[in-house]
Amino acid sequence: MTIVIKTKNLCRYFGDNEETMVKAADQVNIEIEKGEFTAIIGPSGSGKTTVLHLMGGLDNPTSGEVELSGKNIAKMSGGELCDLRRDHIGFIFQSYNLIPVLSAEENIEYIMLLQGVKASERKKRVKEMLELVGLSGLEDRRPGKLSGGQQQRVAIARAMASRPDIILADEPTANLDSKTGIALLDVMKELNEKHDMTFVFSTHDEKIMSRASRLIHMRDGKVELDERK
Amino acid sequence: MQLVQLAFRNLFRNTRRTILTVLLISFSLTALIITDAMMRGMTDLIVKSITETLLGEAQIHKLGFRDNFDIDLFIDDAADLEDSLSNDPTVLAHASRTISGAIISSSYNVTGGMVYGIDADAEADLSRIKIAVESGTYLSGKPNEILIGKTMGELLEIKLGDRIVVTLTEANTGEMTQALFRVSGLLHFGITEIDKNMVFINIDEARKLIRLGEHGAHEIAIRFRNPEDAKNPDLAVFKDHNTESLESLSWLQLNKEVSSIIEMSSYGTLIIGLILFLLASLGVINSMFMSIYERIYEFGVLKAIGTRPLDLGVLIMVESLLIALISCAVGIILALLISEYTSTVGIPLGEMEFSGLAISDRILTQFHISQITELPIYVILLTMVSGLYPAWFASKIIPTEALQRSL
Repeated sequence: MTIVIKTKNLCRYFGDNEETMVKAADQVNIEIEKGEFTAIIGPSGSGKTTVLHLMGGLDNPTSGEVELSGKNIAKMSGGELCDLRRDHIGFIFQSYNLIPVLSAEENIEYIMLLQGVKASERKKRVKEMLELVGLSGLEDRRPGKLSGGQQQRVAIARAMASRPDIILADEPTANLDSKTGIALLDVMKELNEKHDMTFVFSTHDEKIMSRASRLIHMRDGKVELDERK
Repeated sequence: MQLVQLAFRNLFRNTRRTILTVLLISFSLTALIITDAMMRGMTDLIVKSITETLLGEAQIHKLGFRDNFDIDLFIDDAADLEDSLSNDPTVLAHASRTISGAIISSSYNVTGGMVYGIDADAEADLSRIKIAVESGTYLSGKPNEILIGKTMGELLEIKLGDRIVVTLTEANTGEMTQALFRVSGLLHFGITEIDKNMVFINIDEARKLIRLGEHGAHEIAIRFRNPEDAKNPDLAVFKDHNTESLESLSWLQLNKEVSSIIEMSSYGTLIIGLILFLLASLGVINSMFMSIYERIYEFGVLKAIGTRPLDLGVLIMVESLLIALISCAVGIILALLISEYTSTVGIPLGEMEFSGLAISDRILTQFHISQITELPIYVILLTMVSGLYPAWFASKIIPTEALQRSL
């Protein structure tokens, strides 16, 4: 199997004082393979979001390495990380994270614009993504005119439109009602199964855990258990 | 979807704030344009007041005459000089004058003053003496005519037609001479110095009285076709007539006090502009920061999904530029509307005397192309400079911190 993300002895400490230092990630070693539907789970403060941010190059580790498709991203500059996130990683966040002044279509198109994708190709992919997430016909609506679930679907479409190697989702169902959350997870699971898209979640949502093919249990910044179903 | 489109839409997320910011900048620009137009109008009024009253835009004298108005220092052949001035295409009008100190007596009182011998026809095109005749008639060339300042008339307790005696000194000999005149007109310039101290008689009579010869004169006053020529030292009027015995000076050199005041007024506009735009800049910085703080989470997301810091900075700068452009459009329209009124109806000042000048007119604001070209460019530049710090701040937002802030 192809390894998409690999962390080696990954540490992220907050604070300089030995006594008050918080070890949000402590010697974390994880390998995410292509096509996995992985959930990093654990109680609040266990370090799951920190690990997700480190995997996505949003944060720099105190020590250790993060390899994305064989490249160590831990030592990359800010600009290089921006390009890496743009071209290789799709993000889905807990809060509705769309640009409010852009329509659903424009939100999906945004990253492709940054990537320099041609207009005709952008339009084609936007249409394709909207169909995939079941939002055809709503492309002209701005986020304010979409429900929470619909907004998260647009976020998924945006994350996928850039054709990333992996999608990192931080508590994607936390702000959604149960029914909408399930519907959204079904969409992501379908994308995972049909398109071999790799997903890594940070969550304590039972619904995600039940659908995940792999659960990584974290506590106090350490991987406590790594189980594949 | 382009950057400009995104920036434009961002501006109208909080329409009220954007409108207030636009109004702040546009009102500042309007105020600056009107201030500049008023200063130009004021300057024009002062210049006209000083040059059209009596001085002219340039004068030629015998070298040294102006030091103490020595009656002996006169131009021998003013006619020859006037001929050359008549052939100068830059010169609109010119007039010779004699100037001498005198004792002016009526049946009731005596006062000192200056007697100007003037060419009545030429002066009509050059100075306001004819216009200043409040009662009686202007000089017609008849013998014994004299025009007297209204204030001097009151001092001498005379009225039109009354006789007065003027005692003068003859040039070169220093002998005293007297002549009897009948008051043909009373003048009101609104300038104390003239109304109280000056009388005007026909130049031919003056020449005979003080023995200047047929073509002698103490002063030749000049008015240009283009008043701006007074500032051009390369003009033939100045180059050809500044010789070993003559001096040819512009009104700016003749009245340095007023030219300094005019120069200072441009600094006034600059200072007002700086204050206005300092305030407007603070408003822009405040508005942009409020806008950024509201969008910190969003900026975190934008950076997380791959937007480069520079692109975020550019987005803020484009928003600043759009605010500046909208403000300039509003400011210019407002200024033009106000100017339309103030340039025709004017701003009334009442009658006032300022540094020896009678300003009894209204200030008519003056439009100048720089008001809608240069000043808005300053506004745009300053707004962009004001946007630099917020743009830098936005570009430095750390995604993880921004994402946590709103979670």
